[in-house]
Amino acid sequence: MESLYLLIPIAALFVFIAVGIFTWAVKKDQFDDLDREGQRILFEEDDNDKK
Amino acid sequence: MILKPCYHCGEDVPQDLNIQSEIDNNTVDFCCYGCQAIAEFIKGADLSSYYQHRTEKAESALEHDKLDNKFSLIKDPDLYPLYVYIDNDTHHIQMSLKGMTCAACAWLIETRLKQLEGVSSIHINLSTSLATLEWQPDTLDIIEITQEVQKLGYQATPYRADQSDLDIKQSKKTSIIRLGIAGVGMMQVMMSAIAIYAGDMQGMHDNFKQLLGWASFIFATPVVLYSAFPFFKAALRDLKTRHFTMDLPVSLGIGLAYISSVYSMITGTGHVYFDSVTMFTFFLLLGRFLEEAARHKSHSNNRNQQELSSAWLIQDGQATEVPLSKISINDIIAIKSGENIPVDGVITKGNTSVDESSLTGEYLPTNKTLGQSVVAQTINVEQNIEIRVTAIGKQTRAAAIERLTDRALGEKPKIAKIADNVAHYFVILVLLCASATFIGWTLAGSDEAYWIMISVLVVTCPCALSLATPVALTSATNKLKDIGLLVTRGHVIESLARCKHIVFDKTGTLTHGQFEIHQVVSTDKDESLAIASALELGSIHPIAKAFNKHTKHKAKDIRNVTGLGVEGMIDKARYRLGNANFMSDWGYQVDESHFAGLTIYLAKQDEGIIATILLQDRLRPNCQTSIRDLRQDSITVSLLTGDTQDSANAVLDEKEFDHFKYQMSPEDKWHWLNSQSNKSNILMVGDGLNDVPSLAGANTSIAMASSSDLAKIHADAILINSQINTINRAIRLAKKCQRIIKQNLFWAASYNTIMLPAAIMGYVPAWAAAIGMALSSLLVALNASRLSK
Repeated sequence: MESLYLLIPIAALFVFIAVGIFTWAVKKDQFDDLDREGQRILFEEDDNDKK
Repeated sequence: MILKPCYHCGEDVPQDLNIQSEIDNNTVDFCCYGCQAIAEFIKGADLSSYYQHRTEKAESALEHDKLDNKFSLIKDPDLYPLYVYIDNDTHHIQMSLKGMTCAACAWLIETRLKQLEGVSSIHINLSTSLATLEWQPDTLDIIEITQEVQKLGYQATPYRADQSDLDIKQSKKTSIIRLGIAGVGMMQVMMSAIAIYAGDMQGMHDNFKQLLGWASFIFATPVVLYSAFPFFKAALRDLKTRHFTMDLPVSLGIGLAYISSVYSMITGTGHVYFDSVTMFTFFLLLGRFLEEAARHKSHSNNRNQQELSSAWLIQDGQATEVPLSKISINDIIAIKSGENIPVDGVITKGNTSVDESSLTGEYLPTNKTLGQSVVAQTINVEQNIEIRVTAIGKQTRAAAIERLTDRALGEKPKIAKIADNVAHYFVILVLLCASATFIGWTLAGSDEAYWIMISVLVVTCPCALSLATPVALTSATNKLKDIGLLVTRGHVIESLARCKHIVFDKTGTLTHGQFEIHQVVSTDKDESLAIASALELGSIHPIAKAFNKHTKHKAKDIRNVTGLGVEGMIDKARYRLGNANFMSDWGYQVDESHFAGLTIYLAKQDEGIIATILLQDRLRPNCQTSIRDLRQDSITVSLLTGDTQDSANAVLDEKEFDHFKYQMSPEDKWHWLNSQSNKSNILMVGDGLNDVPSLAGANTSIAMASSSDLAKIHADAILINSQINTINRAIRLAKKCQRIIKQNLFWAASYNTIMLPAAIMGYVPAWAAAIGMALSSLLVALNASRLSK
């Protein structure tokens, strides 16, 4: 059980890194288009076929 | 027989029409040559997979009446730096795109433009319909790029963000970050909370309990300090204005629960409420985020139209195209037939007719002769004219409407929300009870006075109370969107439920706003219609819209005669289509018509009149039954139109309405609304520029989907499917929503009232208070979900 003293702070560290990346992504306009990006992967495939 | 759909836009293809192409080894049909040209172009560019990927049909090419390209205007040296950012040989521009229906459209435009040499990058944002383009002007002209976009069936206009756009973008980003942090924080705190509760039941060492407490403290702190910040800010504003809204009890709940949790964690006594605090914050933020997103979606990108308008300035007998900003009063400008009139002015050369429907609602063009005045925002229909400019920009009649709109907005009645009314008294009551409890127990000499007071505050925490309204409104808003009404302001549902009086505009709202063929009297109807269609093909006169654009004939020598009609040659015979005067000019007499709409005649030279065509603006489907149903539900229904009495009576029966007013100017409409006794229960439904002040000033307003941009911006909701009976359904749904809100409030209030005395007496342990709070919130959310069924 003593391992919790180490594991919980590590988990907290990960969460803060994740929140940091999320904030950075929002500021870099990654969340600007909530309608399209989810579908982009479906189209990219065609591009590669042609190349 | 079943009509085939157009391969490109999905509209029905007329039976006798035969426009076909080979695409992917299949023969496919089109509704018009425009759609065919687009599809052929897409095929030619090797992008046919667009048709497999798309989830929505494209807009019909018939929608693009005028394909004017605004990009020639930004070449003006004054405007260029405003729109284009120059980085060595690469230039950057933002364009607003019209006609995109799904992600495949964005892919189609991006892929096509990337194929061009000279385009370095193109990125399209589907949510905002904006494209960011980087290109080398030395290799490729911007006009050629945008022509490619037009060939694919979309319209591009230069776009430049103004301050309000930047503010909206920034606030949207901040909301996403706040919501994200609250979501992540909530999940982490919940995990620790489960462990703490399990530990309470099974037994856990105090050290671990404290560790988990610290962990939840670390995760809950950013949620309270950063995510919940807007609530604290609003609560502070409430204190200053002395009018308490729901934000105050919310902040009080979040703030006190957080502070007492921190205190109890440090001292190791009492209970921690971090889990409740974070969950509560997250759900409230989610509701606000969804409401904001809907409002921004209806925001239009085409506000800088004025700046991008041009005019043909006449100097020394020469006409040159210049941006509108360079035109001054007393200049002479030329306006071609079919163009928008950009300024107010007086005709100095030529006779024409002008479509003033955007200002007056009258859809039949008015004849204008030498010396008569024309106003901005109207359309020159028939002949080329020259005008002397009398007013520009803010001085024009159309700009006066915008000023009136601002005034109307300022005087808009205050909408009292139920929850905020409750909140006002609730806050005062809670504070009184809590302080009385604390003072009482301290006087009684109890050490537990502080903890009992916290219990009281947690028990009365307005979670259920403050969630009661938003969760119900969110479900109702989503449901309304499904049935065809896009709500853009938060108060709409509450005011719809209380609506006692609906005021309709006529043209474009209750009617389609354009002529349709009512009846044809002829020996050979089909042939006559085909001839008439050929004569009207290419005309922008409102009458022309009534005729089919698909016709087997082709007319030559077409001549528009102002105020009379149109003349042309088909198969070596000369035809005329127009009013009675036009016929008598050829010596043909017509029987006087008693038809309430518009009667026009078709004549063949040397043979006489071959057809009489009756035209009328048509009511939207279900319009009359909807109005009857509304009146049965004891709602007053009124009609305010800018049209003349005759033209209003032609399509509508005066007896169907409680008030029937015609020839109303935009000012009249707004003053009439203001003079009504129950003006806080009025719903205004309109579409044109002349309705904008009333839409802005009415308590609640709905704009039609085909409305002018200004009308949509100022309306509280937009009727996307243009069906009048959607309003009946929306009112019923709003009433149901109101019932659910009341049930929710009743439940939350009774829960608080029952628990409050117990908590004051000190009988409710802190953990029970926390669980009860979560359960009552859950019940409220479940009740609201009934709305989306």
